Amino acid sequence: MQEDYINIILADDDDDDRLFFTDAFDELKITTRVKTFEDGVYLMDYLNAENTLLPNVLFLDLNMPRKSGMECLKEIKQNSKFNDIAIAIYSTSASEEDIENTFVMGANIYIKKPSDFKILKKVLSEVVTINWQYHTNGLNKDNFLLRL
Amino acid sequence: MKHYFKSEIFLRIIFLISLFVILVVGGFTYKHISNLTNSTKLVVSTLKVNVELEHLMSFLRSAESGQRNYIVTNDTLFLKPYLNSIEKINNSFFQIKSLTKINDEQQENLVILNTLIDTLFSNFSVTNDLFEKDETDTEAFKSLIFEEKIIMDTIRQQVNEMINLANYLLSIRQKDYQSDLQFTPLFFYLVLLVMIVLIIIIYYKITIDFNNIKAKNDQLLIFNESTNQSEIIGNHANWAWDIDTNRFTFSDNHYRLLGEEPQSFEATLNNFLKFVHPEDVDKLTTDLQKMTDVEELPFIYYRIIQKNGSIKHVKAYGKAFYSKDGKKRLLGTTSDISDEIENVIALEERNLELERNNKELSAFNYAASHDLQEPLRKIQTFISRLEEKEALKFSDSGHQYLERIKSASTRMRLLIDDLLQFSRTNKPEKEFVIADLNELFENAKQDVVEIILDKKAQITCETLPKIPVIEFQMQQLFLNLLSNSLKYSKKNTAPIIKIGYSEVKAIDEPELIKATKSNYHKITFTDNGIGFKQKYAKTIFDLFNRLHNKQDYSGTGIGLSICKKIMDNHKGYIFAKGEINVGSVFTVYLPF
Repeated sequence: MQEDYINIILADDDDDDRLFFTDAFDELKITTRVKTFEDGVYLMDYLNAENTLLPNVLFLDLNMPRKSGMECLKEIKQNSKFNDIAIAIYSTSASEEDIENTFVMGANIYIKKPSDFKILKKVLSEVVTINWQYHTNGLNKDNFLLRL
Repeated sequence: MKHYFKSEIFLRIIFLISLFVILVVGGFTYKHISNLTNSTKLVVSTLKVNVELEHLMSFLRSAESGQRNYIVTNDTLFLKPYLNSIEKINNSFFQIKSLTKINDEQQENLVILNTLIDTLFSNFSVTNDLFEKDETDTEAFKSLIFEEKIIMDTIRQQVNEMINLANYLLSIRQKDYQSDLQFTPLFFYLVLLVMIVLIIIIYYKITIDFNNIKAKNDQLLIFNESTNQSEIIGNHANWAWDIDTNRFTFSDNHYRLLGEEPQSFEATLNNFLKFVHPEDVDKLTTDLQKMTDVEELPFIYYRIIQKNGSIKHVKAYGKAFYSKDGKKRLLGTTSDISDEIENVIALEERNLELERNNKELSAFNYAASHDLQEPLRKIQTFISRLEEKEALKFSDSGHQYLERIKSASTRMRLLIDDLLQFSRTNKPEKEFVIADLNELFENAKQDVVEIILDKKAQITCETLPKIPVIEFQMQQLFLNLLSNSLKYSKKNTAPIIKIGYSEVKAIDEPELIKATKSNYHKITFTDNGIGFKQKYAKTIFDLFNRLHNKQDYSGTGIGLSICKKIMDNHKGYIFAKGEINVGSVFTVYLPF
């Protein structure tokens, strides 16, 4: 039964954002299991633990205390165990620099946090239903930043 | 310099000529005078010969008459003059002989005369013998007397001939003497004239040179004074170093540079080094040594400590200079660059301050972009949550409040976005690439395509050039100007926006009076919107400056400021012209 769920993890230090995130998935008609972490350290502890259920899609906030999203991204990409995880950057800012860096480091998509709940729902449903195999093949910088 | 060199040669030549002329004149004069002396001597000797010949004749006559008287009177008293005259005749004869030593003809004549006189006296003695034997009546005696008379006549004739010859020679000599005497004054006069001319030329030449030198001297004095003044103004000083004698010469300002009264101490290396900053002495000494070897050095820098303790930074330059007489000197200039150094230090401090300010600004930018956006985004998300989930529970006024909150937060987002845009145009990383402005304009148009369709706007654009620009900024500029024209269009009138392009010269454009380049690309945006009063043409480019209230026309007052900034970054210009209810024209100038 477990295989029918889409496993989703969000690492974000902002509890409002975590609330929006879980609310959005609650309202979406997709069978998902959402787990959230307050910062990069908790996230990496979880991921590195044995017998952990690895997520299908990992949403990473960039600006977090203790361990930033960028550091997490680096660690994840260095470990082949995490090769199958699709990584979505989920950040307030969409500066050229951040987009460029995360793209180079191997993130799959970049989402700028929307300021409308409806749009948030739309974005999240879009991201989790992407056929990642297909998306990753045609990976290029133009469709890296998700525009809606 | 060349002129004086020539003049010197000229004077030298004249001097040599004068010397030569004087020598020649001296030679001539000597020869002349000795000629004259010779002539005089000859004349005198000729006269002496004549006189002596006359003497000789008179002695002969007195001898003859003495002898005759003796014979006639038989008184031996008369024999005395006869005997005396023999001695006198001999004396005279020797005198004549010595006087006419150089004249062969006269010598020959003298030989003849001598023979005649000898014959005469031998006759006389024979006659006397005969007389004493008292044989006066003999034939032999008579013929002797007769013979004596003949001899006497011959002698007279001979003497006359000799006198004539002497007179003839005298007349020839007198002629020579005369011609010499005649020529001499003329010669001296001519020589004198030549000398006077030469002296006048020399005097003239020397006067001219002297005047020139005086004028040059005046110029030198003036030049010297202005150099002194320029040294004071320019804060620099001159020095000369005679390498052979190790002597220095410092200009007045050099002393002032050291904080001393002009020429107040002896200009020597040691005295000078006393003023040099102790840390710089070694380096300066080696530099000076190098200067004497290499003869030309790049600038050397050192510090001076004046007696009052203030430190001066100076820069010096020296170069070897050879005077005409082969003396080697180092000529140098020392310049007080303390002000420059202080300015540089001040500038560096200012730069650091600016850098700090920039860092603060970028920190602020980050805060604006990230930290301010985050709470706002959440507020907006919560508003959307309220609208979606709780709307039904609100009263009418609750709905109204919610709407107000919504529009306020939308406006805040607009402001933050525009501010960010503005600060991003501030960024110094300007990458100029050759871009097709037509393409950039099309991109900008695409961004507002919905409004264009909505307002049924007509946009015409002339072909724009391909020029080096910061691409995203130019696109932003087009977008801002387009949005501006679309936003401030007249209600119920479809906006007509025309974009024109031409290449212009700065001198042809009255607005480009202060332009730095000569050629510009001119792009004009003309619309038929609500326009504005011309008196606001400048202020509309100021940050947050708005001409309309936000109920009628939404806007942040940042868009045109961004345009202005973009044009500043491109070293271009932007101007606005407006007329109420007719429209506005925005003109952009980009340098070639």
